Amino acid sequence: MRRSLALVWRTLRSMRTALVLLLLLALASIAGSLVPQAANSPEAVAAMARDHPLRAELYARLGLFDVYGSWWFTLIYTLLLLSLAACLLPRTRALVRNLRTRPQPAREVDGFRHHAAVPVGASPAEAVAAARRLLRRRRFRLSAPDGGAALAADKGLAREAGSLLFHWSFFLLLVGVAWGKGTGFTGFAVIVEGQAWTEAHANYDGNLREGTFFGEDHTGIRIRVRDFEDRYLPDGQPTDFVTRADLLSPDGTLLERVDIRVNQPAEVGGLRVYQYGYGWAPVLEVRRDGQLLAQAPIPFQQDPPPRGVSPLSLPWRGALKLPSLSPQLGVELDLWPDARGLVGLLAGRPIPMTEARDPVLLFRVYRGDLHAERVQRSADLDTRDMRQIAAGALGLGRTVDLETGEEVEPDAPGLTMTFAGLRRYTVLQVSRDRGLGLVLGAAILMLVGLLPALFSSRRRLFLRADPAPGGAVVRVGGFALQHADRFEEEFRRLVEELGRAGGPIRESAGVGAG
Amino acid sequence: MTTIGWSGVSTTAFSIALFAYLAAMLGYFHHLAFRRRAVVLAASAVAWAGLLAHLVSVVARGLAAGRVPWGNMYEYSSLLSLLTVAGYLGYVELRHGLRQVGGFVLMFAVVTMAIAVELLYVGPAPLVPALNSYWLKIHVVAAIVGSSLFALGGVLTILYLVQEARERRAAVAPPPIMGGAVDVEAPPDHAGSPDEPVGGGTGRRGVLPPTAALDRLAYRTIAFAFPIWTFAVIAGAIWAQRAWGRYWGWDPKETWSFVTWTIFAGYLHARSTVGWKGRRAAVLALVGFVSLLVTYYVVNLWIVGLHSYAGV
Repeated sequence: MRRSLALVWRTLRSMRTALVLLLLLALASIAGSLVPQAANSPEAVAAMARDHPLRAELYARLGLFDVYGSWWFTLIYTLLLLSLAACLLPRTRALVRNLRTRPQPAREVDGFRHHAAVPVGASPAEAVAAARRLLRRRRFRLSAPDGGAALAADKGLAREAGSLLFHWSFFLLLVGVAWGKGTGFTGFAVIVEGQAWTEAHANYDGNLREGTFFGEDHTGIRIRVRDFEDRYLPDGQPTDFVTRADLLSPDGTLLERVDIRVNQPAEVGGLRVYQYGYGWAPVLEVRRDGQLLAQAPIPFQQDPPPRGVSPLSLPWRGALKLPSLSPQLGVELDLWPDARGLVGLLAGRPIPMTEARDPVLLFRVYRGDLHAERVQRSADLDTRDMRQIAAGALGLGRTVDLETGEEVEPDAPGLTMTFAGLRRYTVLQVSRDRGLGLVLGAAILMLVGLLPALFSSRRRLFLRADPAPGGAVVRVGGFALQHADRFEEEFRRLVEELGRAGGPIRESAGVGAG
Repeated sequence: MTTIGWSGVSTTAFSIALFAYLAAMLGYFHHLAFRRRAVVLAASAVAWAGLLAHLVSVVARGLAAGRVPWGNMYEYSSLLSLLTVAGYLGYVELRHGLRQVGGFVLMFAVVTMAIAVELLYVGPAPLVPALNSYWLKIHVVAAIVGSSLFALGGVLTILYLVQEARERRAAVAPPPIMGGAVDVEAPPDHAGSPDEPVGGGTGRRGVLPPTAALDRLAYRTIAFAFPIWTFAVIAGAIWAQRAWGRYWGWDPKETWSFVTWTIFAGYLHARSTVGWKGRRAAVLALVGFVSLLVTYYVVNLWIVGLHSYAGV
């Protein structure tokens, strides 16, 4: 048991293991970029389940529709973390040990890759002292002064330190990503102009994406949308989307008034709120014999447009469901925010409908069973067990009789529907990620560590001065562990300066390399 | 000058640059085959002139659009090839004198620019809101600089692999009979001619610089590019956090830039690992270069994600 544990540790400790795991992580993420992911493109996953049920089943079993949340991705990730730590711990210990000890002089200096002998006028002790001053100025670390005529120096521990900083920061970054995603969540809030929305699980539109360790601690903060505005160039290219909102604490006190734009999120109570989408919400009123039955803005939706068609030139889709009537009644609705858009599309020349201008609702009334007990999208009407009874078009402020499709007065007898107003709604993305600061800090430290790790080099010098007629001979040896070609030049210059520092005697420096 | 005017200046200068690069490329290749010093000097001059025209094109494009000139794939490609050529002329040729590489680098630039102008061209226009952020400017600039250096490193790596295979064959077999025309005709002492300051060891190994020079230069370029690429990914994540509410969402672009980063990280490690130096490390760098091309072209044009360029 202990032996196999030791084997596992040894394997994890090797740099090769860490590299292989990193490359495996890359391979796994490639898989995730080629197979549609349920989180990013649910339609593509549904389409595959429909067209290739067997393949889809296999993919689902292998977790290929949710690569980044699959057990094997998590496994690679965790092993990478372990392996990184296992690689880095011994290296860090060695660096600390290295920092604590000073370089040790060598007995022979001629055996190194670069070596030279310089005759100087000073005595051996003076020559070593001068070399010591020179090398300290050049930021070399020096051996302890022992009064003798030998000296050792080194430089470039920043390389290993930077490398370790880079790798530890990468480790921290991976931890921060896992922690932030694990304890956070992301969801979407659909809010019509003039309405307020409370941050709570049930109020999110569609599925809330939650981390494994998210504790359901929602804030209860309220977002009241004053208005939403979008601006476009004449050709329909958008230039600005802005939601103007009040942020309220759970007890209703105003915390802040904010403009939320693309690229300009709002922050409140540990949450970040982003502009994500928008749409039209016609206000519909339903009356029976002039008595108001229901009144609400209904957020309409848009299907993804065909390639090359601007969504701005297409209508918005919605449904009005009246399950309390018997038999039940449902209305399919198409909204054209700009009546010219309808005409343009019919004429084959679609125009972008960037603002409300004589908006038109096309409606089709169905009677029968709504199947309201089934899960369905709010904009979809399940018309399998329904029969169409009326259809028509409805302008803003007008009323129709739902039985006949004829336009009537608002207080007319029978069941009527009024197109009472047209508002915008905004879609906000709300998310919490507590790992943000850690991840950002780690990313910056990675960069800081990377520069010395790549561009500095570890160099070591050994020097001794022996008495010679008229002064001393300074012998220098040294080598660089990286960038050896650049060191050659540095070594030559150092030797020259050492000669000058030791005072003149004769100008026949025996500089030689290799 | 009006916007239309600047736009015209930009496209004209772009064409001039493209043809200058093409001519210079032919000149460099001619020099590879026939070793005429006058030709390579002319090629170099034409390439510099092309670079100047290219710079004019990019600046005029920015003036025409009223913003930084790296907002879509056409502009990105243009700036990418500009920086690659500049990196070659300023670093590889001026500093290290490896003129034999010139034709191949210019070939990369010419192909990139031809694709840009033929397939990716769009007129100058303001940016959509999601792209309108100073982090975008920082992120994209870093990505372009990093990519151009990786591209330069990629070209050098390919030549390294070619040359390495030759040297290996030459080491195994006696001097070749086939394909040796240039080798045989090359003057024996041309290794030290002023024409090829660093190509010292080319000797009879063929027309390319020796592997040691190519290897060192490829490594330096990639090592220089790596922190820039790292920064580009980080800046992209910061921008994504602001624009989309999450710094990392495994969008195809994010995924592939991570893959590219990983492969080059592997390359840098491999260089310092015994047994992985030389050819194996170079193959890894080549894989990284391919991954870079996938990150740019395939992800933008074929895989649907947040970085897709609608309508291009």
